[in-house]
Amino acid sequence: MNLRRSAAVAGKEWRETVRNRLFLLMAFLLPPLWMVVFSYGLVLDVEHIPFAVLDRDQSSLSRDYVYRFIESRYFDYRGSVQDEREIDRMLGDTAIRMAIVIPQRFEERLSAGRAVTVQTLLDGTFPLHADTMKSYVIALNRAFSQELLAGFLARTRGVTSAETRRLVEPVTLETRYLYNEEVRSTWSMVPALIMFTLMVTSPLLTALGVVREKETGSIYNAYGSTVSKAEFLVGKLAPYFIISAINVAVLWAIAVWLFGVPFKGSATLFVTASLLFILCGTGIGLVISLLVRTQMAALIITIIMAMVPTILFSGLLVPVSSLSPGARLQAHAFPAMYYTDVARTSFLKGLDLGAMWTDMLALAGFAVALWLVAYGLFTKRPKT
Amino acid sequence: MKGNGLGGSEAVRVWALRLFVMTRKELLQLGRDVPLLLFLIYSFSLSVYISGAGMMMQLNNAGLVVHDGDRSESSRELIHRFHEPYFRFDGEVHDPRMGLERLDRGTSMLLLDIPPRFHEAIMAREPVSVQLQVDTTNAPQGLSAASYAARVVGEFSFDLTSSRLIGASGGRMDVPIVESAHRVWYNPNQDETWLQSIAHLLRMITLFAFLLPAAALVREKEHGTVEQLLVAPVTPLQIMLSKVLAMTLVVLVSTMGAVAIILKPVFGVPVKGSFALFLILTALYSFTMAGLGLFAATVTRNQAQIGMVSLLVIAPMLLLSGITTPFEAMPSWVQSLMALSPLRYFVDVTYGILLKGVGVDVLWDSILAMVLLGGMLFGLGMWRFHRQFE
Repeated sequence: MNLRRSAAVAGKEWRETVRNRLFLLMAFLLPPLWMVVFSYGLVLDVEHIPFAVLDRDQSSLSRDYVYRFIESRYFDYRGSVQDEREIDRMLGDTAIRMAIVIPQRFEERLSAGRAVTVQTLLDGTFPLHADTMKSYVIALNRAFSQELLAGFLARTRGVTSAETRRLVEPVTLETRYLYNEEVRSTWSMVPALIMFTLMVTSPLLTALGVVREKETGSIYNAYGSTVSKAEFLVGKLAPYFIISAINVAVLWAIAVWLFGVPFKGSATLFVTASLLFILCGTGIGLVISLLVRTQMAALIITIIMAMVPTILFSGLLVPVSSLSPGARLQAHAFPAMYYTDVARTSFLKGLDLGAMWTDMLALAGFAVALWLVAYGLFTKRPKT
Repeated sequence: MKGNGLGGSEAVRVWALRLFVMTRKELLQLGRDVPLLLFLIYSFSLSVYISGAGMMMQLNNAGLVVHDGDRSESSRELIHRFHEPYFRFDGEVHDPRMGLERLDRGTSMLLLDIPPRFHEAIMAREPVSVQLQVDTTNAPQGLSAASYAARVVGEFSFDLTSSRLIGASGGRMDVPIVESAHRVWYNPNQDETWLQSIAHLLRMITLFAFLLPAAALVREKEHGTVEQLLVAPVTPLQIMLSKVLAMTLVVLVSTMGAVAIILKPVFGVPVKGSFALFLILTALYSFTMAGLGLFAATVTRNQAQIGMVSLLVIAPMLLLSGITTPFEAMPSWVQSLMALSPLRYFVDVTYGILLKGVGVDVLWDSILAMVLLGGMLFGLGMWRFHRQFE
């Protein structure tokens, strides 16, 4: 291994990159741009659910009931309708996601101390949202019922309001949110977005490196030179590794200074994990580059390979523990998941190596394995 | 073409023939790229299956550890109500600190702490509270788990109240409460595989419909073969159109395959509306995305650049067009920005036809938006292409 020869390859690669202006610009521009756009834009909270009301009672109590929904920040009132056919149409057109049907004699029955069933029609296209809507409705109904009940008991039994409150809610739940006390979406999103950004951009940087030379034939210069396999691959990887490393620093700075996410963990650990992770990312690109024959194939395969598992199976949107066993297996076979763990833990939990050594080991393992695969795939004596 | 001395219909025939030959060339070229072809097949089959079966956004399997300081009938009854599939019981701990350690390590997500004298307090009709600690490093999931837990405890509490009231009134008691009845439409069992498999198909259509033509055009530019095409008796329109047609065809066939082999038989996605309409609109969408791809290809010089530009354009589209989260829940600036994303309209079309069973009468505005965007992008691409070579 002669580092001077690697440096020569790296120098040539770097010069090509610098002359490819748009590419270089994007390599530095994309990560911070995405970070900002997705941190502000990728909102997963379920709020502003558009809904309509079919009020068959038209009483003051039913209006009071509907008003609770209109007031709530979770719901967005889109008017009242006259019959169920109109609900059909609005749900079909996605003008609303939910409709509330208040039955006749709503007020009459409740004032007489009897139970009433209110029906909600939900758009089930997004099952998670249908579920959340159900929870909101149930919580709202319960609060409304408790008030009714308290009033009813005070009227019929003459108990004081303090006592009725105790009677209608004997057991309460106190919830404490850990690590992200105010449950800010951005705090949990930003560390994962560092992972997303690095995972999607770094393979693409290297993906075309070798296959471009194969396609244009300039790879024969390398075949015919004294540069060894390992020297060549290191040289090919080095410039892009450095670009990604700079991006790590930029992304970290954006997370801490722009979004104010606390960094509670160890900087050394985070940097080590990040460097291992971009080694994996650039390694994936390199392996794809060695496997295919055309740049077009390298490009498409890399983009999809990098983007799809990273969106789905990395813990970005959904924790790996709630995936099905098959998908969980795929998540474990991909480095992104481990780095998401390290990033979130380093930012929000601030634990030491003891809690993260398995993740670190996995990242190191992937980096070494990818390197060995690349080394094994690259040959200076192609068959044709 | 113009004034080649041919008659009108003859000119059209020659024009179409040339377009056909060019389209065939694109398909042949793609067919010879074996790794890419294999990957295409994987993307529309196995990959759709894995995502459909594997992704669960609904709260599922959230690890719960319990510190039961009471060990009574009531506390066991409450713990029992935290059940699968939402919660996974990770066992009891003797000390809340041990539970917190599990949360630290990320092996469990929630710690439920039931105080001593819980049962006694309930029997004595004193108010009592239980504590829940939630790991919110993943904020939406943490919130979702907390709201489920609140639902569980709320029900427990409410059942106590009603049993007391009924007990007091001698067995028969009507109480003024509002009960909730839900009817879920379009996906009555809330089967998430429907959403996830369709969502994944949408991602694949988007990626391939954009990348295939874009890469095909840039490749010709990079290799210089586009110069040959330009001196050949074909117009720039034919060069671009042939790529769009070929790749649209590929995407369309793959989509049909994915629906016929995975979506319908494996996951039982209903396909309530007209499948033919869905295919026609998929073709329209592919055409629109191809227009965007070709436009991107005209502003780049080599495939490394088109790769970066693709990331710039595609990633926000995939994450912000409302594939797996309702579009109206996005911040308003995202909604305005994504009005330019053809995918945003195709999402409505796809869910509308496959799940809701609606037709053109409801979807006309989305269709119109796709037509306009597609025409605009294709026109813009043509204009740039012309300018670059003439």
